[in-house]
Amino acid sequence: MRYSSPYPRARISQETRWHKALSMAEIKLKKVLSGEKAHETISGILASIGVPIGILDADGSLLAGKPAGGSSKKYPISISGDVIGWAVGTEEAQSVAVLAGYLAQHHAERKALARETLDGYKEISLLYNFVDKIALCLNLNEVAKLVIEETRKNIRSSNASLMLLNQRTRNLEIIAASGREYSPKMTLKPGVGIGIAGTVFFSGKAEIVNNVATDPRYVKGTNKVGSMMCAPLKTRDKVIGVINVSSEDPVVYTAANLKLLHMLTAQAALVIENAVFHENKLKEERIKSNLERYVSPQVVKAIMDSKENIVFAPAKRNITVLFSDIRNFTTTCEQQPPEKIVEYLNEYFTHMVDVIFTHGGTLNKFVGDMIFAFFGAPGKSDNNEKRAIESAIAMQKRIKAVPSVWIQNNFLTGIGINSGDVVVGNIGSPHHMDYTAIGDEVNTGSRLQSMAKGGQILVSRSAYEATKELFPFKEIGSVQVKGKNKSVEVFEVLY
Amino acid sequence: MSKILIVDDEPHIRLLLEQALEELEDKGVELLTAENGEQGLETVRRDKPELVFLDVMMPKMNGFDVCRAVKDDPATKGVYIVMLTAKGQEFDRQKGDEVGADLYMTKPFDPDEIVAKAFEVLKLSR
Repeated sequence: MRYSSPYPRARISQETRWHKALSMAEIKLKKVLSGEKAHETISGILASIGVPIGILDADGSLLAGKPAGGSSKKYPISISGDVIGWAVGTEEAQSVAVLAGYLAQHHAERKALARETLDGYKEISLLYNFVDKIALCLNLNEVAKLVIEETRKNIRSSNASLMLLNQRTRNLEIIAASGREYSPKMTLKPGVGIGIAGTVFFSGKAEIVNNVATDPRYVKGTNKVGSMMCAPLKTRDKVIGVINVSSEDPVVYTAANLKLLHMLTAQAALVIENAVFHENKLKEERIKSNLERYVSPQVVKAIMDSKENIVFAPAKRNITVLFSDIRNFTTTCEQQPPEKIVEYLNEYFTHMVDVIFTHGGTLNKFVGDMIFAFFGAPGKSDNNEKRAIESAIAMQKRIKAVPSVWIQNNFLTGIGINSGDVVVGNIGSPHHMDYTAIGDEVNTGSRLQSMAKGGQILVSRSAYEATKELFPFKEIGSVQVKGKNKSVEVFEVLY
Repeated sequence: MSKILIVDDEPHIRLLLEQALEELEDKGVELLTAENGEQGLETVRRDKPELVFLDVMMPKMNGFDVCRAVKDDPATKGVYIVMLTAKGQEFDRQKGDEVGADLYMTKPFDPDEIVAKAFEVLKLSR
């Protein structure tokens, strides 16, 4: 029985010849007899019978033997009920017809097998070319685009799209699409029964929907969709997205079409997973190289390994700030040519940054000869006050130990330390962003620094309270600082 | 009548090439097969096909030797020869050029490409 459908059959470029059941009417007796073995067999039999027997094709053309005389009979040569030719002659011709039928049957079986082999081979070849094209691509958008292109090349469709789950929003988002119309911004919140793509994403099972309009799950988009197929992009342990293939006209996608789509998505999923991994790695590298400007490589590693979500967006944090400035720098500079000063400054900064990094601090910026560093951001840490004071002591000691005697004698620094809640993050204009800390406590830290004499480390009460058992302090008392109404209690670290 | 010869020692490759080229049979093209190099060369000399799909690794006489013999003979040198071999054997490609092969296709070959090539060489329209 023939398959009847109100819709035109889906045509796939390969499919026109693939998976087509072998019709017996396609078997030509001439072709059957042209085979070397078949030809030999039939000729031998006809010769041994000795009476004229003719083998005719379905149209009556003589293919072998000799035309028989007037009193001859016609015996049909058939396979599966279809007559493909005749043996004409005396009653011996009946056996010849049976033999020819048997040879035709053998030929048909061989042909069916060949067709199946070819189908399999075509699949291998298609997959081979597909993998060859996409395997080396590490750019997610490019891979997605290639996958869609190749899918459309092999499956007849008016639209195709590749959707991936956005880990943050938990929405399925279109990464690549092609077709008459599509909305690149279209997203879908997947859920059981929400959207065909959403359902497939959850079930992990590919589906054919040949009459989309009547499917209650269908979420109407800008595309006109008659029929569609949807297959999940599955990696080892999860579904990461789906591929949709749809046709504006209601066509009938077949199981063979779905198998092909399934095969393509299986390969695509692996390559896409790889590309996603690569992109994340790149993002990580970018964060890392950004971080390395501010903190030591060890701290970068600790932050990256901690799996802590690094937030560069401004946020309130309790940190300890450290300001260090060279006393009478302007006067000192006058003694030396500017090139020499730059040289000394670079050497000085190198040593100071080294000390700050060693103590797990974050270098924020140099302003002239001033250093601004903080402890407790971007990676969260404990004992910020303790590490800031230890760092300050080590900085003062390092200056006295640098190889340059000139630096030892002329660079006297005052250090101010404060702790409290400030806003930390990327601050600036879209053209120039700086990762920095802003707030009253920062200003207080800066004021303490300006109060400190050469060699002095001054801290606020909050820093003192956190570390009073750890370091010897001298209480300086309450001081009115510039630009602040409330006085600040000042303590000097003795070292 | 145009003829295409398929020379391969693997029966399933012969079978699937024959099947792929079935479309040409409907256009009156005769498909011939040979299961080794020697038989292939004999068939070329006897039947003068226009196009030969020739496997490289075969018993009795390999594809390169068949190709060289065909291309060295003034009577058959016009035959278009497509060498078929396993992917990744770059050395074979070089050797194929040396013996005068017209085209080189790697397995797994694309059946559609094979058919397209046959149409082109035989100057037939689909």
